Amino acid sequence: MEKKTVLTKIGIPRAMSYYNNFLFYYGFFKSLGVEVVLSDKTTTATINEGTKYVVSDTCFPIKVYAGHVINLLNKGCDVIFVPSIQSTGYKVNNCSKIRGLPEIIRNIINRPFIMIEPTLDKTENIGLYDFCKNTACQLGITDTKEIKKAMDAGWEMYNSFMEMTKSGISYNEALNNALNGKFVKKSVDIVKPLSVVIMAHGYNLFDERISLNLIKKLEKMGVKVYTSLNISREQQQEALKKLGEIQYWANELELTGCAAHYLLNKKVDGIIALSAFGCGPDSLMVDEISHHCKEKGMPLIHLTIDEHTGEAGFITRIEAFVDMLMRKKRNTLIQNAKPKAKADIINIKKEKILTGSAK
Amino acid sequence: METEQKLAEKEIKIRAKDRIIAWPRMGRIDIPLKALVQSLGAKVVIPPANSNEALELGVRNSIEGICLPYKLNLANYMMALDKGANTLMMFQAPGSCRLGNYTKMAQKTLKQMGYKFDMVIFDMYKSKMVQTLQAFWHVTHCLNPYCYYKGFSLGFNKLFAIDTAERLLFYTRPRELNKGDAEKCYHKWLKIADETNSVRKAKRLKKQVIEDFKKIPIDKDKKVPKVYLIGEFFVLLDPYTNQNIEKELGEMGVEVQRQIMFSDWLEHVLKPSIFYKKESHRERCVKYAKKYMKRAIGGECIETIGDTVYAAKHGIDGIIHISPFSCMPEIVAQNILPKVSKNENIPVLSLVLDEQTGKAGYITRIEAFIDLIKRRQQKYAI
Ligand code: SF4
Ligand code: SF4
Repeated sequence: MEKKTVLTKIGIPRAMSYYNNFLFYYGFFKSLGVEVVLSDKTTTATINEGTKYVVSDTCFPIKVYAGHVINLLNKGCDVIFVPSIQSTGYKVNNCSKIRGLPEIIRNIINRPFIMIEPTLDKTENIGLYDFCKNTACQLGITDTKEIKKAMDAGWEMYNSFMEMTKSGISYNEALNNALNGKFVKKSVDIVKPLSVVIMAHGYNLFDERISLNLIKKLEKMGVKVYTSLNISREQQQEALKKLGEIQYWANELELTGCAAHYLLNKKVDGIIALSAFGCGPDSLMVDEISHHCKEKGMPLIHLTIDEHTGEAGFITRIEAFVDMLMRKKRNTLIQNAKPKAKADIINIKKEKILTGSAK
Repeated sequence: METEQKLAEKEIKIRAKDRIIAWPRMGRIDIPLKALVQSLGAKVVIPPANSNEALELGVRNSIEGICLPYKLNLANYMMALDKGANTLMMFQAPGSCRLGNYTKMAQKTLKQMGYKFDMVIFDMYKSKMVQTLQAFWHVTHCLNPYCYYKGFSLGFNKLFAIDTAERLLFYTRPRELNKGDAEKCYHKWLKIADETNSVRKAKRLKKQVIEDFKKIPIDKDKKVPKVYLIGEFFVLLDPYTNQNIEKELGEMGVEVQRQIMFSDWLEHVLKPSIFYKKESHRERCVKYAKKYMKRAIGGECIETIGDTVYAAKHGIDGIIHISPFSCMPEIVAQNILPKVSKNENIPVLSLVLDEQTGKAGYITRIEAFIDLIKRRQQKYAI
């Protein structure tokens, strides 16, 4: 029997599941002795390249993904990791496009390359161990002990990354620290006048080109930003349950769970939903949350992005939202500060403030 | 837990004999399902066929990003409730796509509008004969096994008869000598099937349909291009959404073959797999799609790809692939199809349907595609 040679290098596109799971992947491959090559950060060129390969109705992140695969191929890396994450719990399925990522890539790119395409499908009892084993087998590694060890290494990196982000360290910083084996925790929380939570998929939010640097923009406006990385999965699950909803999508917690958590603990002044234009699951999730927001009087804005989104219009919308939050906060502060007897006067004041800024 | 309890309270309120049942329109399912439910002693309301009015109603009451089938289903529910229904049935298959989320959303939306009703969900994930029976029992509280026997055999026989009629219609329409004969015959049998009320007669239906279609004068030697119609389940089965594409094609002199038939699907869903003698449609698709797809990804994506490959290997001249706008599994299929089309040497036309699809442009595209197929045929004939 011909024995497969062991592959020693693997390319990971810097898109889709990279943003949530990279540290696990990295720790895993490193422990197996496989070198990890990343594609370059998303640029407009990446997007244009990717757009050429997929049909135009496909959502934005998938176009970007295709661009990253091409980028890796151009770099001369011809072993590419394209996982299919079908479901993360019994009947908790992902969006079809995430499930069929390898199927899409296989059929749109007509260049020779090896695709490492493991499946994670808990509905069919294909768990993480099978996922990892399958990955390793495709690379030519079959020693189960080694695989288990690699999984532990992956978890270790992932957990230290999550610990850091949960303490409030930014995505990039935590990523770099984890890669360099450093562990830093933030002890004091900077208090800012306003805070918001962004509900979005990691691959939309943490890709600075896709999200048009949303987090930085908000921080510049003096807004404290919370993301799904600041809380644990369990907290998200719990919050969602408390809200009376069930998890339907595999990738839903980073949106609904996260929003539910901050909606219930009232730590934020507003919610920003960021999703790709035409994304099926997201439109349902945002709708679900916006129902609850209406009930609880929490402001929510839904921003959709695609390859044509202009930066100027995007900023205007964020600014308008932040302004609105600011006004609202001021009003409630005034109202709470004064005793009730003077309620009439305050109402007049409030009106003035409102009309004043509307002009 | 809490919601379950609430639901349970509700159920008590609607007594079995007061139930008036409705379900969304899905192809011709209303005829057999009506027979079944009525045999179990419940009343039925059939919502009016999908139309512009229904669509508008659905669009107005649902969020923008959701797919067309949901909008129409919602409109069906509303219309049925307006006509007096108090129990809604929904088929759910959470393995596949947004369909599973539909019920939850529809329920919420309808409640917000102030409707009062009970929703019974038929979970069709994998074979679930027992659960299905339970659900039927739950709606009707019928305990008489004879009624079940009668209901199911009426239902299935009607279903098979209608499917047969449909297949014959596809075959006869492009070949008929007097335009409109096949269509008339088909509608006649739909009506008869609907009115049949005894098992004995229902069992004969299929045979009678075949005989009757044989009587229609046709041009047997006519060279008719054959086209497979594939895509998303709902738009395939709903003539309003697909703008009656089957009829249009038939009138252009094209024989349509549709692989997704309701009876196949139902059989696949209801029967435990050990009862299967022949290879199911799905299994065949998985086999044929292997070169392009290694896993099912929800919806009808793998069927789409598998059927295309199968068609190319079995003398079909072209593929028309239809899907609703923003349909996720079918977008994946659209990405895969160009390669399949090239490798297997079969022309494919992908049509995306949304609220604004204009009929004129749609027909032009189909005509151009059929021309292409005919030219190819001539080329290969030489
Ligand atoms: S969840 Fe939305 S953005 Fe993500 S792949 Fe699916 S459709 Fe695209
Ligand atoms: S298969 Fe397509 S149309 Fe059906 S629920 Fe899914 S996205 Fe909607």
